[in-house]
Amino acid sequence: MAGSNEINLSESKMVVPLNTWILISNFKLAYNMLRRPDGTFNRHLAEFLDRKVPANANPVDGVFSFDVVIDRGTSLLSRIYRPAGADGGVPSIADLEKPVGSDIVPVIIFFHGGSFAHSSANSAIYDTLCRRLVGNCKAVVVSVNYRRAPEDRYPCAYVDGWAALKWVSSRPWLQSPKDSKVHIYLAGDSSGGNIAHNVALRAVESGIEVLGNILLNPMFGGETRTESEKRLDAKYFVTVQDRDWYWKAFLPEGEDRDHPACNPFGPRGISLEGVKFPRSLVAVAGLDLVQDWQLAYAEGLKRAGQEVNLLYLEKATIGFYLLPNNDHFYTVMDEISNFVSSNC
Amino acid sequence: MGPYNSSVSAGSSSGSSSSCSGKPADPIDGLLAGAGYRVRSSELRQVAQRLARLENVMVNAPTEVSHLANDAVHYNPSDLASWVDSLLSELHQPEIAPDPSTFSDLNYIAHTQAGPVLVNPMVSHRELSAGTEIEEDSGIRLVHVLMTCAESVHRGELSLAASLIEELQGLLTSVDGERGIGKVAGYFIDALSRRVFAPPSPPSLAVSAFENTVLYHHFYEACPYLKFAHFTANQAILEAFDGHDCVHVIDFNLMHGLQWPALIQALALRPGGPPLLRLTGIGPPSPDGHDSLREIGLRLAELARSVNVRFAFRGVAASRLDDVKPWMLQVNPKEVIAVNSIMQLHKLLGSDPSRGSPIDPVLEWIRNLNPKIVMVVEQEANHNQPEFLDRFTEALHYYSTMFDSLEAYSAPLEKSLAEIHIQREICNVVCCEGLARVERHEPLDKWRDRLGGAGFTSLHLGSNAFKQASMLLTLFSAEGYCVEENEGCLTLGWHSRPLIAASAWQAMPVLQHPLPLINHRQNVI
Repeated sequence: MAGSNEINLSESKMVVPLNTWILISNFKLAYNMLRRPDGTFNRHLAEFLDRKVPANANPVDGVFSFDVVIDRGTSLLSRIYRPAGADGGVPSIADLEKPVGSDIVPVIIFFHGGSFAHSSANSAIYDTLCRRLVGNCKAVVVSVNYRRAPEDRYPCAYVDGWAALKWVSSRPWLQSPKDSKVHIYLAGDSSGGNIAHNVALRAVESGIEVLGNILLNPMFGGETRTESEKRLDAKYFVTVQDRDWYWKAFLPEGEDRDHPACNPFGPRGISLEGVKFPRSLVAVAGLDLVQDWQLAYAEGLKRAGQEVNLLYLEKATIGFYLLPNNDHFYTVMDEISNFVSSNC
Repeated sequence: MGPYNSSVSAGSSSGSSSSCSGKPADPIDGLLAGAGYRVRSSELRQVAQRLARLENVMVNAPTEVSHLANDAVHYNPSDLASWVDSLLSELHQPEIAPDPSTFSDLNYIAHTQAGPVLVNPMVSHRELSAGTEIEEDSGIRLVHVLMTCAESVHRGELSLAASLIEELQGLLTSVDGERGIGKVAGYFIDALSRRVFAPPSPPSLAVSAFENTVLYHHFYEACPYLKFAHFTANQAILEAFDGHDCVHVIDFNLMHGLQWPALIQALALRPGGPPLLRLTGIGPPSPDGHDSLREIGLRLAELARSVNVRFAFRGVAASRLDDVKPWMLQVNPKEVIAVNSIMQLHKLLGSDPSRGSPIDPVLEWIRNLNPKIVMVVEQEANHNQPEFLDRFTEALHYYSTMFDSLEAYSAPLEKSLAEIHIQREICNVVCCEGLARVERHEPLDKWRDRLGGAGFTSLHLGSNAFKQASMLLTLFSAEGYCVEENEGCLTLGWHSRPLIAASAWQAMPVLQHPLPLINHRQNVI
């Protein structure tokens, strides 16, 4: 495997811009140091290395942000991003939770990625992504700082997601004036995509309506080794071994990857037939080794009669949506924008 | 301390051109900057090569990986090039010459640096009381009127402000004044009313030094901010003193000397034995001939004696830091000096950035002492803005967060006293002007510019200091405190809002000061 590493590095350098390569390789190396073979995680070093940004009530490029406490008991924070007023002025404290303006305002509850273990709502890469989503979709974005593995395994992240959903749906200031309802979308990348799916599942039969799910390179898996995992192992920043580590860190001790949280349409999955599940936009990167599981997910939704819009980006790698320097980024942003406006 | 003191950007956070040198700056990649990393566009290829090299080494030697994680100290991850280089050195991999042929320029969209980000960070939004909707609405109304009142004060419409204050006092009765927005608003309404109704001469000057130290002591106990400051400073000072036998700490505000027992004990235990430690404690003159500085010095001397550390103490009484003259410190050319300033430097700032302020001569004499380390801990807030309304708004956010963090502290009497300590600060920020306004807090970025411009270079606080500070926090039951790394400095905050920033500095050698800043990697002057 050692000699072929050089080849793998060359491969990955050819398919992404230089600064993207640097960013993702940096994460890869840092994360390698943080995962310990015994399943524990070097959380202090992780927090030290993670680049974070504070919330900023001064609008920057038309977007301002502030943090809220959703659940004091679990210290569950979320960062709220809103479009600045027409005058672009700094909102006063009283204005932070001013009722949303136009007829219909989508509210996107965003779950950041990081394979359930890394990153936070205030990580710079995710702060930047959420700001872009606000501008792109004319939406309010609520980025949830869910609890992470391995300290807080399944189902903590889902519990936090559910708490955020309930909170958002009960804010009067997030209701769209047109129908006095909160127009909610769940979104996430990598583990965040997985969380979005599971929170939507929880929301079924709850009376809280989720208008759509947006899953970017969602994290799913299973016990069998799929063809894409074998073919793409270690080729584009990700290895099967690290995927296994993260599932082991997230799933309950003793569980395997056919647990329904990991493999929703696998041998232990539940059927979604006849269930009022939100329509889904699923973006899959053609160079992501987990794609077979993601495609199986989309298939599973279709088979259950659910509405799915599958976006397969053949030449994209993981993290393509982090920097706006490639076509896939713009394609996905357009699709998300259409998805969120088409159904309001 | 950090092997790479990347002072090239002169502490300017935006990565824009260094204000000190004459040559145009090398732009940094704007997209990576948005992700929190500073990499010069011209160095992207080199950095990528080094990353690839590091990866190959790590793949070939997995045991080295655990060494990097557990033993190596990491510094300033934002400076990606330096970080990778330091890891390569840890693994004994020499630098390689850049090879331009290895990468393709696929779809590379060049970006120049991002503009400066206005950081006027809002605090974690306070959860209005958990009670009924009525109470939630009262809280919102309260904040609305409070801001309107501040605006009227800002515009000089004092009679309007006065009537709004009455309205506010009425509104206060319909919210829970013991916690949350009610409590914070109460303090700000009080401060506003002092400003509007009280005579021009501010009451805070009449406060006794004794009262101050009592309140300070309770603030010290009730929340971790001061402990973090002391702890982080001591770690850095200890490192700076490594290998030296004559050391001298100059403490800009001795108070009860709470910071020093830990340092004395750490020095006692250091391998190779303790140095001779001199401590010079600066503090306000005691009333009626009573020498409190000396008393504290005696107690510390006793502690030092009990752990066999040779120790000498000197007290310097001064009401203001700029009254201190270097000769009073009696520094010895053979000793290694640490200057320790915990929430003191901001008191020397003026409000007009274009005119000199009292801090400039002070920074100059500090620099002339040629200290091995200058520890600076300051409130991470922008309370020195020229416009009243901006200061008021910023303070409301800042102190809301701070009060919120205190809420978890269980001892009610002690908590009240700690709150009064904070209230004093609030009053000073809101009510006072001119010389009387001493709480002129400025954020880290401004301190970086100021200290960089005064001839100091940053010493990075690393992952070891970060880890120890984080572990200190777990001693507190309140979950919600967070330590963050900020380009070589550490901040402590509550609910992802940094409130206190700690940074370490060293004087740049005098010879190089007037020249453009040196780039450590390219060795170009």
